Formats: sequence, structure tokens, C-alpha cells
Amino acid sequence: MKLSQAFKMAWKSILSNKTRTLLTMLGIIIGVSCVILLVSVGQGATSAVTAQVQGLGSNLLSVSISGRGVQTSVSFEQAQSFQDIEGVNAVAPTVSGNVQAKNGNKNVNVSVEGITADYEEVRSTKVQSGRFILPIDVDYSQKVALIGTETATDLFGTSNPVGAYMMLNGMRFKIVGLLEEKSTSNNTIKIPLTSAQRLLRSKGIRTIYMQAQTGDLTSIVKARTEQKLSQIFRSTDDSYTVTDQKEMLKTVSSITDTLSIALGGIAGISLIVGGIGIMNIMLVSVTERTREIGIRKSVGAKKRDILLQFLIESIVISGISGMIGILVGLGGGVLVSQITSLTVQASLNIILISFGFSVFIGVFFGIFPANKAANLKPVDALRYD
Amino acid sequence: MSSTAITLVTQRKPLLKLEDVFKCYAMGGEEVTTLQGVSLQILQGEFVAIVGPSGSGKSTLMNMIGCLDVPTSGSYWIDGQEVSRMKDSQLAEIRNQKIGFIFQSFHLLSALSALENVELPLVYRGMSAKARKEQAQHALREVGLEERMHHRPSQLSGGQQQRVAIARALAGQPPILLADEPTGALDTKTGLEVMQMIHTLHRKGHTIVLITHDPQIAAQAERVIHIVDGQISHTEVMQA
Ligand SMILES: Nc1ncnc2c1ncn2[C@@H]1O[C@H](COP(=O)(O)OP(=O)(O)O)[C@@H](O)[C@H]1O
Ligand SMILES: [Mg+2]
Repeated sequence: MKLSQAFKMAWKSILSNKTRTLLTMLGIIIGVSCVILLVSVGQGATSAVTAQVQGLGSNLLSVSISGRGVQTSVSFEQAQSFQDIEGVNAVAPTVSGNVQAKNGNKNVNVSVEGITADYEEVRSTKVQSGRFILPIDVDYSQKVALIGTETATDLFGTSNPVGAYMMLNGMRFKIVGLLEEKSTSNNTIKIPLTSAQRLLRSKGIRTIYMQAQTGDLTSIVKARTEQKLSQIFRSTDDSYTVTDQKEMLKTVSSITDTLSIALGGIAGISLIVGGIGIMNIMLVSVTERTREIGIRKSVGAKKRDILLQFLIESIVISGISGMIGILVGLGGGVLVSQITSLTVQASLNIILISFGFSVFIGVFFGIFPANKAANLKPVDALRYD
Repeated sequence: MSSTAITLVTQRKPLLKLEDVFKCYAMGGEEVTTLQGVSLQILQGEFVAIVGPSGSGKSTLMNMIGCLDVPTSGSYWIDGQEVSRMKDSQLAEIRNQKIGFIFQSFHLLSALSALENVELPLVYRGMSAKARKEQAQHALREVGLEERMHHRPSQLSGGQQQRVAIARALAGQPPILLADEPTGALDTKTGLEVMQMIHTLHRKGHTIVLITHDPQIAAQAERVIHIVDGQISHTEVMQA
């Protein structure tokens, strides 16, 4: 029998058994689309969180001082001296607290961070209009401020805040810059570090961000920083912690990996359930079709002719439904990302794996029972009912 | 007259030959022997009827002759080839090339049209679509169903379905036609039509083996083989 003829025969058989075809297709479509959708959601979450951590600044280390006993913080000068550690590119000490911000009768409680000019680079935080804090602002404790987008909206509505004044705990500050959109700084006000020390009435610095010159240097810089801190705090090493961004990324990715595995597991189960559905339908349909196989054999079909027909049938059914499954999965992903705030990221690998797996199941369970029937003697297959 | 008939018979070569064929089935641990040492020869162009009571092993014998089943022991030749030693794929080729079946229950594929059913043996011969269609249409014309060729079996009467089955059996021009109670599921009138068709095919040179339990139908054959309990009891040669 010719291949083209086998194709025609298989196609005819697919069309003439619509219920069977639809049920088989449904199993594959559900399996494939679930896998693609769930894994895309997992991967979207992973890359969103990773991007957020990376957005904190590149090659970032952060020193946080919890303080024990006499010394609970470091001075501005001590913090700036971290600049001299080998491998450090820039240092950004901060102080932070909460203040009441006021513009006319609009009033919000907002977190304030006192920063230096290097903060811009170390934390990769930029202004979208106006200017950043300058070294001179810090040197002369200028009453200037950068404002996050949401705080700006709270205080100034839609009008441009740059150039306007606001009151922070009763002190008048001029807004010189509007910060770029960034989830970690939308609800903050940033002012020169020295001004913040006065505003918050706290001299000590408890958080220092540091940028290593290269990513490879972060762990060495971390060790050197810890050494320096141990000199300052005289070996009470639980007074401070130094974390580097790589560690944060590791923590984050261990969480998101768990998420991905959980989602992938659920998706895998749906693929298997779909596969069992296919198996069931194929088994039933071959039983149904044993008489057909007997008739075909009685007019001269060989075992390989029968197998070829069933093979093509199952490849076509599984292939078409796999492709529909991909479309449904991707479409579902688009829908999810529009309806919810989740990031959805499809990957070619997952598409190929789920497609390949479902086609394999379809073909395997198409061929396996057909093989059994094709091995029957024609007389036994004909008698079947 | 009679001398020409005799020369005709002597010119005929044996086409099918069974020698001491046994068929056993295992039924719940017990062995049932359905054919007990059947030996027979059928000549080229002969019209043979096999008769016997129900359960005597007629269908088993026909399945053996038609290569749908293999003997438990004994040997079987078609055209000098020993079929009882052949592999499955060779048997499939023999069925495809040499044998046309007409079953009591028609055995048509319900998803296919009459034409497609008739084409089926030709499909497995690897014929081109065009040649196949021509040959199948020709066969349907011979059974008088050309205008129904696009109907499904379910849209045809029993007699029409059996004619489609006959068309399928003769579409590939096989030398041997095997009919297992072909009129068994039909009323008397359509049964007669089907018998007419079988006579026509015999006149055209097909070798015909017809299974029946109806003595009137058996009497239309050239030779009648009687089977009782899986053994040939006797053979009658009919006077034409
Ligand atoms: N596949 C089988 N398994 C067991 N017994 C069978 C099988 N096929 C036929 N038989 C038995 O063989 C005997 C002859 O059957 P069959 O050839 O169909 O008779 P007939 O066609 O003359 O009525 C019956 O007793 C039947 O039960
Ligand atoms: Mg019978």
C-alpha cells in the first residue's frame, strides 16, 4: 500500500469517527495547554522577581547594622571610608525613617531616605525629570528632595512636582527631581543624607549600599567589608550583616524554582490525565475496530498496512491537537497577563516538550492496542463483536 | 456432448488441494477438534458446494481454504504453492491476489461508500487511484449497482449490500471465489438474484466454493461435498 493512500485512509477514518476524534483531541489539548500556561506563569514570576532584584543595582552589596551594646551604628565618615576597600566602586550610605509630607491640605505619611550622590549609580535609581541629589547638596545639607511617582501623585495630583515645595515634618523642602517608575521607590522621598540626619534626628548610619567593581569581586569585597566591620565593632559579629545581590538572587530563585516545580507538577499531572484519556479512547476504539481490521485483512491488508494506518491516524490526531493545545495555552497566557498583574513568559522548550510528550502518548496508545489487533488471525478479528 | 464434458474435466488442473487437515481449538482447557482429517481437491473453474448440518465445520473449512486461518496439522496447496507453510504476510498476499470472499453477514466497512468498499482489495494491491476506481466501478456495474456507488452500506438493502460484497470479491479478478452462506441473510427473491450472479461468475471461469445448508442451492453446483462432524461423509457429482 502506498503512503499517500494510507494517509487518505487515515484521514477518512478520523473524519468518520468524530466523537472518538474529539475526545482524543480534548485530552491532548487540555494537557498541552495546561502545561504551557502554568509553566509560563511560573517562569513569568521568576523573571519578574529576578528583574526586580537586579533592578536594586548591579554588583550590589548591602551592609545593615543592627547594633549591639554601645555602638549601634557607624558614622557618615566611617561609612564613606568603605570606599577605600579594594574592589569597591562606590558607596552609598543611607539613613531612613518615616515623615509626614504635606502640600497645602494634602498630607501623607511617607518613608524618607537620606542619600548621597553615589546612590544614583549604586542603586541604579534615576530621575525622569529634574536632577539627582548632588554632592554639594549633601555638603551643605540643602533642603532639596526627590519624589517617587506615587507620592508625587498623592501630594500634587497631576501637576508637575519638580520645582514645587512641600513640608516634611514642618521643614520646607524644594523638589528637584521626580524619580523613575520603580516599585521599590514609588512611595518614597529621597533627600540629602545630612539633611535627613537633621530631619530624622538620627546621626548614625545603619544601612550602606556598596557597589563592587565587577560581579566576580562581590564575594571578596564582602569578606573585606566584614573584616573592616569587625574592627569597628570589636568582633561582635552579630551586630552587622553583609549581603550580596548574588545571595539574594539565590534565595529568590530557590523560591521561584519551587513555584515553577509546583506549577510544572500540576501541569504534568494534567498531561498524564490527558494521556490516560487518550489511552482509554484508543483501547476502546481498537476493540470497536477489530472487526474492521479483520475485514481489511481478509481482503489482503498486511499487518504493516494496518499499523501504518493506525500510526498515521494517531500522529495526525495528536499533532493537530498538540498544535491547538499550544495555541490555547499561549492564548490563555495572554489572557491571564491581561486580567491579572502576573507576568507570563512562554518558553520554546516547554512548548516543544509538552507537544512532543502528548504526541508520543497519542502515538504510543494508538499503536499499542492496534498492534494487538493486527496480530490477530483474520478469522478471529472477523468474529470479534 | 458427454465426451466434450469429459475432455473439459480432464483438461482442468487441480487448483486447491487439502491433505489430512485437522483444526483444533482449545476451549476452556478442553480440546475441540472441528476438522478431523479433511482431504479434498478442487479443480480450476469448478463449482463446488459444501453442505452439512450447523456446527459440522463448514465455515472452519472455508476459512482454511481462504487463508483466513491455518490448519493445526495437515497441508494445503493453492496452485502448487504450499500455503500451510506460509508466513502471515504471504497469506495476506494470497488473499489479496487469489481469493474473493462473500460472507453471510456481508462484512462491509460502514464508514466507507460502496465504491470505496469495492476498491479496498485494490488499495492493498498498491494500484493507482485512477485504475482502482475504474476497476471498482466496472465491478459495481457487473452487479448492477453503479448508480449507488456513493451510498454507504447503511443506505442499501441487504441484497444490495451483498451485491456490493460480491463486487468487492470480484473487483481484483481473483481466480477463487469463496461464499459462506451468501444467501443466508437474504429473502428468497434476492437470494435467487445472488445465486444468478454466482452462476454468471462461474461461467466466466472463476472457481467457486459455496457453503450452504440448503440442498436446493447445493444442487446447483457441479459437485457437492457433504460434511458431518468435521469429516467428509461423501461427495456427489451433479448432472448438469
Ligand atoms: N474460534 C473458535 N473457538 C472454539 N471453537 C470454535 C471456533 N470456531 C469454531 N468453533 C467450533 O467449531 C465447530 C464448527 O464451527 P463452524 O465451522 O462455524 O460450523 P458451521 O459453519 O458448519 O456451522 C463448532 O462446534 C464451533 O463451536
Ligand atoms: Mg458457518
